[in-house]
Amino acid sequence: MASLKKSMSFSLMGILAVNCLILTALWVQEATALPVTSHCKIDESDFQRPYFINRTFMLAEEASFADNNTDVRLIGDELFQGVKMQDRCYLMKEILNFTLGEVLIPQSDRFQPHMQEVVSFLTKLSSQLSSCHISGNGQRIQKNIQTLKETVKQLGEGGEIKVIGELNLLFMFLRNSCV
Amino acid sequence: MCGFLQFPLLSCLLTERNTGLQTGTLATMMLKLYFLGFLIKSLLTIGIETQPAHGSLKPRNVQFQSRNFHNILRWQPGSFFTGNGSVYFVQYKMYGQRQWKNKTDCWGTTALFCDLTNETLDLYEPYYGRVMTARAGSYSAWSMTPRFTPWWETKLDPPAVTTVPVNGSLLVLLRAPELPYRNRKGNNTSTENYYNLVYRVFVIDKLVEKEQKAYEGTQRTVQIEGLTPRSGYCIVAEIYRPMLGRKSPRSERRCVQMP
Repeated sequence: MASLKKSMSFSLMGILAVNCLILTALWVQEATALPVTSHCKIDESDFQRPYFINRTFMLAEEASFADNNTDVRLIGDELFQGVKMQDRCYLMKEILNFTLGEVLIPQSDRFQPHMQEVVSFLTKLSSQLSSCHISGNGQRIQKNIQTLKETVKQLGEGGEIKVIGELNLLFMFLRNSCV
Repeated sequence: MCGFLQFPLLSCLLTERNTGLQTGTLATMMLKLYFLGFLIKSLLTIGIETQPAHGSLKPRNVQFQSRNFHNILRWQPGSFFTGNGSVYFVQYKMYGQRQWKNKTDCWGTTALFCDLTNETLDLYEPYYGRVMTARAGSYSAWSMTPRFTPWWETKLDPPAVTTVPVNGSLLVLLRAPELPYRNRKGNNTSTENYYNLVYRVFVIDKLVEKEQKAYEGTQRTVQIEGLTPRSGYCIVAEIYRPMLGRKSPRSERRCVQMP
């Protein structure tokens, strides 16, 4: 009887200990997870740079004159469909990197002199987001990004012009998602 | 001989023909030139216009003019007419939408403008407007505006300034120009925050005409202290938009004599 009681209390202790371990593990995980997501942030002061903001809008305006496809828009609310608030900055980061790598840098000999300055400004924003990741697998996010990339591809050169014409939207969406 | 007048290619052709025939006087040559020039010009026009017969009806310079976020579409009559007897039809849409919407208030208007403020209330959204004319039963093609983003394009008027002397200091009351009613998210934020505007107040010492910035911020009431009694001061203000680094023109000076 005594041994039974002893083993019971022992197992109770065991359960408690395991619980404690799980809790600690969870807490540790949360603690490590938090800083990772908080890297998805751009300082507000980076969006208070009139010189670069004006250049970005001027470049977008110039490119938009050459874009007569008014029905198709790349950066809009559809991009966020099914995407949680906290993942939106990550999504915008991916689009920013796509824009820089696949469109702006290859096209950088065009739309001078604004292009050069806008590229350096956006590169700076992109570097602030270099360690921005998401915790989940982000299937939905990848799908939305893929849709945008495919639209750009389908439109050919018109697609790249469209990306440049929407740099002002990219900028505003980055601001709304990452500040 | 080649490359004179405004139709270089044409004048070359013509010169060759004329030298071949050895007959054309200068006058007939010029006449032919002008006629051919006219032909080429019309051919070019036909190439550009989608509806050749009504190309000249098409409204010109269709664009938004935005002041204090009031967005007015403006245009000019087609090139061959003064506009008398023409009626205009206006449509608008947000960039990315497929459907154009009719602006019923400006559907068949004879005016050369149309207020689209309520249709373009989202500051950061890009919009388009377009105008078509009808005259004596024929319709023109649509003329479209460039992409229009209110936040980027609007021009602000200066704030209205009132000054009230209070015990040796000066109370400055600021009022932004009338900005359209915001029916979206902006309801619980102030106009200043919603539109991202700050006031700048400057004090000018009348004796030395020296100007100093006394305030920059979103408050509508500003108290200026440390003014010398029995001195004259003028207050002037402007609206500043920090993200764009743009400022409104300055308000009128409000001058006071301190007691």
